[in-house]
Amino acid sequence: MNRRGFLKRAGLAGAALAASRLAPAWAQAATVPTVEEVQDIEHLNGGLMEVLGIDFSKLEPSDQVTINAPEIAESGANVPVEIVSELAPSEVRGIHCFVDKNPFPHIFSMSLGPKAAQTYFATRIRIGETAPVRVVVETADGRYLLASHVTRVTVGGCG
Amino acid sequence: MALILIRFSPSKPKKGELVKVSVVVRHPMEPGTRKDENGQIIPANYITELEVAHGGERVAHVNPGRGVSANPLFAFMIKAEPGEVTVRYTDTAGETGEKSKTLKVAE
Repeated sequence: MNRRGFLKRAGLAGAALAASRLAPAWAQAATVPTVEEVQDIEHLNGGLMEVLGIDFSKLEPSDQVTINAPEIAESGANVPVEIVSELAPSEVRGIHCFVDKNPFPHIFSMSLGPKAAQTYFATRIRIGETAPVRVVVETADGRYLLASHVTRVTVGGCG
Repeated sequence: MALILIRFSPSKPKKGELVKVSVVVRHPMEPGTRKDENGQIIPANYITELEVAHGGERVAHVNPGRGVSANPLFAFMIKAEPGEVTVRYTDTAGETGEKSKTLKVAE
């Protein structure tokens, strides 16, 4: 066995060993946990109250908002997130992003102007540990539409 | 002043076509939670306001927080019309930056 092959195998074995010591079941298999398995509504509510003045119970889960983000990110320091909605920009008052388990759950807020051609926004965010990414689209008629997407993070991005 | 890059995709769109405007700002986006090698907290320094305009009219206004990555990317969709795209930002240290790029449109 050459050096490269050895290191590769040693690394894989080490990763498997490390994973087997973690408690949650989803962490042992190479699967992405569900939103319910990794959410932290209480911590998220802190961010929601601060930014929107409402808590999680006021958000309406909606398929009119789509989050495109990786299911697994090797590094949480730079996770691409793309937000798309079929709603016209004029129907959208604001777009807000949160991550349940980040030390500061609020990631950004933004609004679209008259020159926005679509309800679309993309950026890159930090995810401290495996958790749901939440996008809240505040509509012109006062509703808060919610989309959630879990990104499994191998190395956190806040440390 | 930090470097700002603006890219259009497609780069020479036809009139009326959708164009993705990607903006990258070279900025540390320090969240204020990290420590240096001496265990001292690195003070927060991140962009708090970013405004994008096309032909003098607003495309979007972004309020990033600590959770946006270093050297952040922001992307938006506009309709292809000739005109200048302008980006302005302000960070927590009070620094500002501005950059413009002209969108050329094929008839």
